[in-house]
Order: sequence, then structure tokens, then C-alpha cells
Amino acid sequence: MNATHVCLSACLVIAAAHPLSAHHSFAAEFDVNKPVTLTGAVTKVEWGNPHIWVYMDVKDERGVAQPWQCEGGAPNTLTRNGWSKDSVKTSEQITIYGYLAKDGSKTCNLRTVTLPGGRTVFAGTSAPEK
Amino acid sequence: MNRLAATTLVVFLAVPAAIRAFGQQDFKPPTGPTPRTASGRVDFSGVWEKPYVPDMSKDGKGQQGAPDLPFTPWGEAEWKTYDAANGDYTGACLPFGMTRSMNTPEPMQFMQSDKYLGFLFEQNSWFTVVPIDGREHRKGEATWFGDSVGHWEGDTLVIDTVNFNGKTRLDTIGHPHSDQLHLTQRFSRPDLGHITYEVIVDDPKTFTKPWKNVRTLWLRPDWEMMEYSCEENNKSLWEGRIKVPKYKP
Repeated sequence: MNATHVCLSACLVIAAAHPLSAHHSFAAEFDVNKPVTLTGAVTKVEWGNPHIWVYMDVKDERGVAQPWQCEGGAPNTLTRNGWSKDSVKTSEQITIYGYLAKDGSKTCNLRTVTLPGGRTVFAGTSAPEK
Repeated sequence: MNRLAATTLVVFLAVPAAIRAFGQQDFKPPTGPTPRTASGRVDFSGVWEKPYVPDMSKDGKGQQGAPDLPFTPWGEAEWKTYDAANGDYTGACLPFGMTRSMNTPEPMQFMQSDKYLGFLFEQNSWFTVVPIDGREHRKGEATWFGDSVGHWEGDTLVIDTVNFNGKTRLDTIGHPHSDQLHLTQRFSRPDLGHITYEVIVDDPKTFTKPWKNVRTLWLRPDWEMMEYSCEENNKSLWEGRIKVPKYKP
């Protein structure tokens, strides 16, 4: 197996992770050219339409916890893809990969969430393929 | 394995392995003959998975798009000046309209009688009920979903829709249409598990000639429709990151 073979098989699975929401245009709120990775403690999860929201405290470079809020897919389609409202729990330490909001606030759109056990799950972004 | 290959292995296996664990399983629609109603018509009833079509000019799984859309100068200008950040009616939970409702990744259910076909969209729990007994279009005010009537051409059900209010977009990426939009949707069911769907877009103000998409819908007997209240927690609108379009009076 070489790198090309790995990428071919793995990338197909990534491609199979279809967007789980079309409530609004991704570009209306978020910037696909501003990806972000954040690690922090979950403070709240809102499991409701049109999107779930995960709130987390993320320490800045001075070690001060900053509150972030990140939008996931729609709960209906997340449910059909194996999620439940308990998939991400308050106080858990998670890492998210997503995209920043255009308005400069501490808001993002979730592509993946890495859970405490190390498992990474697709969180339903509607970001366009790049 | 060299360092580059090893790095690639870690990076690309970490995410997909997890997506597999938490993600959607492979699904195969049921097999069998085309079901029919008591009166002998093709029966489209059921919960259906649709391809997500954010851009009707592109191909995708279960979707043949229409590349090089034939814009008129008016349509070209509408397309080139569109920026969802200046106003996104779907983000404001306003009605998606017919094409954008058919384009969503959320499923839909058809409920059918001899006189009507009900389109039950999970997206925002909207519905539209279409007479399919061959009657003429109603006269009335223009609406978000337009006025639809249906007739049969053999085993194909043809839904004709006009009288749109022009406040919607054709797809998520924002392809435009005008209030002169005329949609033709053709539904056939070659077997139990599939619908073949064609949508023909005819809008002389926006396009110089009609164009179409061809799609496959998959029967999902393992799914039931779920409530979807768009207004429940629409934080992005409330906090000002999504704006309501400024429609001309």
C-alpha cells in the first residue's frame, strides 16, 4: 500500500459524508477559506432545528477560556446518521474542525468533532466541496 | 513506507474510520415491481431519499446537472450580483419554493390519491398538494411554491407549475429565476425502489432556452418523516449573521 492507495480509499469515504443540512446557504454566514481547529470543554449543546449548536470554552494563547459557539447539521439528519443529543456531552473535552463565521465573532460551522475517546465524526457541514 | 506515505496514512485514515463508525450505513432500496393504486395508476407513495443538489448546474450522486446555464442578460446580471451574505431567504426560514425544496438533503414523502399527490417535505415541515386529475391551473395570487397541476402521460406523472412569486432561488448556490418561471416535473417509477425524476426549468426572462436536471430518488422504508421547525432555534438570524433579503415591493 502506498500513499496514493490510502488517499484513494479514504477520500472516497470522506466524499460519502454528505452535507446534512440545507437550511441556509453556507456562504451567507461562514467562510470556507477560513478553516479553524478548536479544542476545549463543552459547556452546552442545543439539540434543535434548524441546526444543533455546540458551545465550548477554548483557552486562548494567554490561557484564558473564551466562549465559542459552533453550528452543526440538522438534528433530523444527524439522527439518521447515528447521532443523538447525547453524542456530545457537557464538560467533555472535544476538538472540532470547522469554518469561521464571516462576522468575526467566535462562531463556527462544524465539519468534524473529535470525541474524548479519539473518534472523529462528521458533524454535517454544508460547506461546499473544495 | 516513507515519511510522506506514513503521514498521509494517519491523516486520511483517522477521519474516515471514525465517520464510518458514526456514519450512515450503505443502503440498498428494496426490489420489486412498480406498485400501482387500486385504479391502476403508478403509486409514488412512500418516504424517499433525494440527492442533495446545492447547484443544479453540477452532477452528483443520483443527479445529472445542466452545465453552462443559458442565461439571458437579465439572468446573468442576477447571477453575478448574488451574494447570500446580503440576504438569504432560506436562512430566514422563508419558504424554499419548489425546486429548492426538491433539492434539499432532507427526505420527502409522497401521499397519493386518484385526485391529489401530496409533496410532504421534511425541510421545514412544508407541504404542497397537487391536483393530478388533469384540471387546469387555478387563477390566483403568485406564491412561493407556485400553482401546480398534474396529468398522466402513460405511466409518467407530469407536474406543471406556474405563478411563482419570484422571491426564491433555484438552488442553494443561488441560481436565479423570475416570476415567469415555468417548471415541469416528470415522475416515473421503474421499480419498487426508485423514482426517476426530471425537472425542466423554463424561464424566458432568466434563460434563453429550457434546461433540465435528471435524478434518482430512493425508497426508504426504514425512515419516517420527522418534525423540522426552522424557527425553533434560528440563532444565525436572531444574532444578525444571516440577513433577510430586501425584496422590491
